[in-house]
Amino acid sequence: MSNATSQEVSMPVADPNDPYKAPALMPSSADKEPRSFSPDAFAVPTRKIDDWRYTPVERISEFFDVFTPSNATEISASYIDGSAVSESSGVSFRSIEKTQAPAGTVLKPSDRASAVQWASTDRTYALEITKDQSIPVLVNITGAGLALDALHLVIVAGENVHADIVLEHSGQARLAEGVELSTGKHSEVSLTSIQEWTNDSKHVGSHRLHVGEGAHLRHSVVTLSGDVVRLRMDQDFGGPEGDLNMLGIYFVDPGQHIEHRTMVVHNYPECKSRVVYKGALDGKDAHSTWVGNALIQPSAPNTDSYELNRNLVLTPGAIADSEPNLEIENGNIVGAGHASSVGRFDDEELFYLQSRGIPEIEARKLVVRGFFGELVDQIGIAEISKHLMGVIDRRLARGESDEMKHVLEEN
Amino acid sequence: MQHTLEIKDLHAAVETKEGRKEILKGVNLTVHSGETHAIMGPNGSGKSTLAYTLAGHPKYEVESGQALLDGQDLLKMTADERAKAGLFLAMQYPVEVPGVSMTNFLRTAKTEVEGKAPAIRSWVKDLQGSMKKLRMDPKFAQRSVNEGFSGGEKKRAEVLQLELLKPKFAILDETDSGLDVDALRVVSEGVNRAKEDNDFGILMVTHYTRILRYIKPDIVHVFADGRFIKTGGPELADELEETGYDQYLPEGSDSESALA
Ligand SMILES: Nc1ncnc2c1ncn2[C@@H]1O[C@H](COP(=O)(O)OP(=O)(O)OP(=O)(O)O)[C@@H](O)[C@H]1O
Ligand SMILES: [Mg+2]
Repeated sequence: MSNATSQEVSMPVADPNDPYKAPALMPSSADKEPRSFSPDAFAVPTRKIDDWRYTPVERISEFFDVFTPSNATEISASYIDGSAVSESSGVSFRSIEKTQAPAGTVLKPSDRASAVQWASTDRTYALEITKDQSIPVLVNITGAGLALDALHLVIVAGENVHADIVLEHSGQARLAEGVELSTGKHSEVSLTSIQEWTNDSKHVGSHRLHVGEGAHLRHSVVTLSGDVVRLRMDQDFGGPEGDLNMLGIYFVDPGQHIEHRTMVVHNYPECKSRVVYKGALDGKDAHSTWVGNALIQPSAPNTDSYELNRNLVLTPGAIADSEPNLEIENGNIVGAGHASSVGRFDDEELFYLQSRGIPEIEARKLVVRGFFGELVDQIGIAEISKHLMGVIDRRLARGESDEMKHVLEEN
Repeated sequence: MQHTLEIKDLHAAVETKEGRKEILKGVNLTVHSGETHAIMGPNGSGKSTLAYTLAGHPKYEVESGQALLDGQDLLKMTADERAKAGLFLAMQYPVEVPGVSMTNFLRTAKTEVEGKAPAIRSWVKDLQGSMKKLRMDPKFAQRSVNEGFSGGEKKRAEVLQLELLKPKFAILDETDSGLDVDALRVVSEGVNRAKEDNDFGILMVTHYTRILRYIKPDIVHVFADGRFIKTGGPELADELEETGYDQYLPEGSDSESALA
């Protein structure tokens, strides 16, 4: 920390009301880890390894050694309104060989689980978008039970292309998944990955993202359920003036572990990144982890980077880990900052709303909707925003069930 | 329509680190529609506790007694049910609710209290009209509930809610504290307007006679050590301002003002 002043970094002024806002220059060491397609390049994860210290590794140990996939997970693509995609409309979705480009071209696996996923995968799919799309393209990924499976998807959006892509994960699954996304020069692309698994599902995934020169990418992650979900996002820029906006929303129920790791790398000048993740945790032993790394390399002057994580603990007994790391290797930047907080749902807020005639359950909905609202709007796809708010409302309504009451009484 | 709020021998306590502490020690009071009762008393005597207990704050445990609104016991209801029954509390320290906009909050509250959503056009008109009369910037409607409001702005927002929600009884807990001279007038006018429209009963907790020039009390009570100990006409307020509360406090009392 002491070397912070010796670097010429323009930092946001510390806000006394939000002590977490002050940026920290912490060694993230994210860039010093190996990058490899070979599982053996990485040690088997334990809690002692920094990258895995928040993860209940014992609950996902099956993802740490190469396995034979069930190949039962279903995958299909269409437009979000159900109509078919076609090459003539500029969308191609097909099965390819893992050895065939563009598979394996966007960065390399950054941890053992993603190298194992790559090594285990039999089925690889490519989604290529070559023309502007006015309707979001939907890729449905449906689990087919708890037999371990692996799947790889590579998405390529061409130069200047405007397109929205949604990955919707649902059903019961135990899935190792790799997603690669490469966006072309001056493209404007959004990728939204929704995880809405059954409560006994496990999902370990790696998103590897390459943002084209002058391109804008909005990458959104919405994780609503699953026993253990761990997603790691690695990214780099392909040229100057790239703009990356990463959004995350998660809702964690009792006993669940939901983890997101965003690893942003500024490797070109004049690029901008924003990472905003927000989560609500409900009930005993609900556990969320967000780790956000931003690495600003010497090759990236005039970088503008900011990351934020907010957690709302709705009932006692939940744990939210939140760890922002900034690694700044370039003194000539526009800004770099982070904020992180864990807030409790406040009894006084609840009473205030109730004293105006609003029943407890509605009061909770108001507060949680307010907490997520702006972020949900930013996802920018009406169907998804609506769906999301509906899911969140149902979740909160379920808080009224006997099971939840029991959990609440325990605390 | 004539309504009655009756508080009968109300005892309430709060759980503290040092154990259970009884704060309300037998409160008796009857208020009818259209009446304005001023409640004055030393710091720490339990005035806010009375207000919170009536409104249903979970921290305060009722040990015995009743609070009947037209015969229905409020104390058996949840806080939101009490509001629906017609009770309103303007809080001494209004709570900030980040992320929930004033408009959304007010519309939700109005819908709950009335049992149906207000007609959109008249609602917007009422809201804008009330805000204007309370000299509130229309931008406040878009802000989060009480978040970052100044002390005086919070009090105006309480009175705004009073005007919009039209209760049968309103408890105003130091709504006059922290207001500048002009704001005091604006806020008082707001209360009087709301009262003219709805003829509700008012329980007004205050430390100052200043507000009583604007909102004229019919009855003034002295509240000390957890109960009402004296009741009189408006002249009692002036007398209190002259002489203070010392005469009403027991020997060796630990109330703040007795210590001062
Ligand atoms: N939640 C609580 N925990 C502990 N003590 C409390 C709590 N609420 C109230 N008290 C105590 O009860 C007593 C009455 O408090 P209350 O706020 O009702 O007084 P008040 O008459 O409104 O005072 P003021 O004029 O200063 O607003 C005080 O001694 C206060 O410290
Ligand atoms: Mg008080």
